[in-house]
Amino acid sequence: MSNITRLIWFDLKQELNPPVWIVMEWVVFALQLSIYGALISQLVTSMSDYLQFYAVGFVVMMTFEIGSHTGRHFVENAHEGRLPYLLSLPIPRWKLFFAIALQGGVELALLLVVPLSVTLVLIGNLTAVSATAAVATLFWLGFGVAGLMLALSFIAFRSTDIYTAIVTALSTLIIRFSTVLYPLIFLPPSYASGAKFSPLTYGADLVRLLLGFDPSMLLDPRMAAVVLTALAVSTLGLGMLLLQRLVEGVKTA
Amino acid sequence: MTELGRVLQVARTDFSYFFRTKWLMAVLLSLNLSDMLVVGLVYSGLMRFNYFQFFVPAVVVMGLFVASLDTGRRIWLALREGVIQYYLSLPISTQGLVFAYLLAGGLSAMVYSGSLLLVALVVLPAHAVWNALVLLPFLFILAMGLAGIAAALAALASTHGEFFFAYQQIVQVFLLTFSTVYYPKYVMEKYLPAALVTVAQANPLSIAAEALRDFAFAGHPIQVSIMANMILTSIPFALLGAFAYSRALHELQVKGKL
Repeated sequence: MSNITRLIWFDLKQELNPPVWIVMEWVVFALQLSIYGALISQLVTSMSDYLQFYAVGFVVMMTFEIGSHTGRHFVENAHEGRLPYLLSLPIPRWKLFFAIALQGGVELALLLVVPLSVTLVLIGNLTAVSATAAVATLFWLGFGVAGLMLALSFIAFRSTDIYTAIVTALSTLIIRFSTVLYPLIFLPPSYASGAKFSPLTYGADLVRLLLGFDPSMLLDPRMAAVVLTALAVSTLGLGMLLLQRLVEGVKTA
Repeated sequence: MTELGRVLQVARTDFSYFFRTKWLMAVLLSLNLSDMLVVGLVYSGLMRFNYFQFFVPAVVVMGLFVASLDTGRRIWLALREGVIQYYLSLPISTQGLVFAYLLAGGLSAMVYSGSLLLVALVVLPAHAVWNALVLLPFLFILAMGLAGIAAALAALASTHGEFFFAYQQIVQVFLLTFSTVYYPKYVMEKYLPAALVTVAQANPLSIAAEALRDFAFAGHPIQVSIMANMILTSIPFALLGAFAYSRALHELQVKGKL
């Protein structure tokens, strides 16, 4: 365990000294919620309190961004030559993979602590169980997204540019074609079918259900839980396989 | 070759670099087109007024803004990777080099937002396409001003990439949030203090978005005062960027590093 902790701290201390990104994400959240969210909710007339809906959506978007960052960080390590060093360390591959995933979890916790607390206070009237379950869902989604990005990292062994292009374009589309910003029932049919392929749809709807939003405008929670679990298990499994079998001796182009 | 010829050569190199960055093109296009054709359309269904009609011209301005800001990333890369040392060894003045970057930033933003404007003209009926063409030179001056902001941020961040991207994101969020790009002025007046509404009105992004909405898409006759406002609010940013970048280059020439 000490090896894993040391590896996590090795990377994390660079991001915390100074914690530019963390503070910036909090400032962006504050601005987006207090100005953009508040003003757009004045215009939205089809829902009673769009600001709460938007706040949860923004937290889900942040979870997605941080999960993606974990995958991209792995590719950056390969690109900058740190991966061969990490692979040469006297620790098993599964521990290395565990350290990467756990580091993503710690970053997620650090970045979400303020935005999520504000969102929970904004929604109010919550039980400890519902808040805990919502946090657990966000972490499960974060691990799934990180696994997806890690699994896609094999593209970077061909071309980092193409990997970055695919991942960033995919990220934008996964967010826009999802229920992060708007409920599924308000999406045009052609967009709604696309939204059902986005993992964020399931993550956002499950978190909203746990936080007490109207279930009639959300997806079936059992289906959402199954999709999120399948995503996390399959992509993390694929990522682990990649790290154990394919990554040895390769370098990014 | 004259100084102007050298400036154009450097500008051409920087201009072509923008369009060769595949990942950047993928990010910008997917972001702007999905904003226009997904977010605008879906929000329209959630609101009583036609948000799609309101938002589509704003996406063109957003495209102009983010493409202009990429000038800062290219300056930061040149500073970090030492390309700037090579540029400084060329027979071109420091002012010429600064102008070349702003020119390339403005041009690339114009080409990029021009493609978004074409999409906008396809998806939204425009009552005065001629007015859209008249607006282009003014949008170019705005793009150079926005490229100036990016240049100032790059000079401020020096070789610290994490600071540059942090500054860029903060400026981007501030300028877009405190503008009439996403929401009409009357909503801001109801919710925000008068001082902030004034700031939003003076924001060049608001002026450009309103100009596109009113003159190109709604077909109202062009008002000279609004065009003058667009220039007056853009030029200070271009001058600020030119000053900050010139100072950074001067420091580099004197000390050999930043």
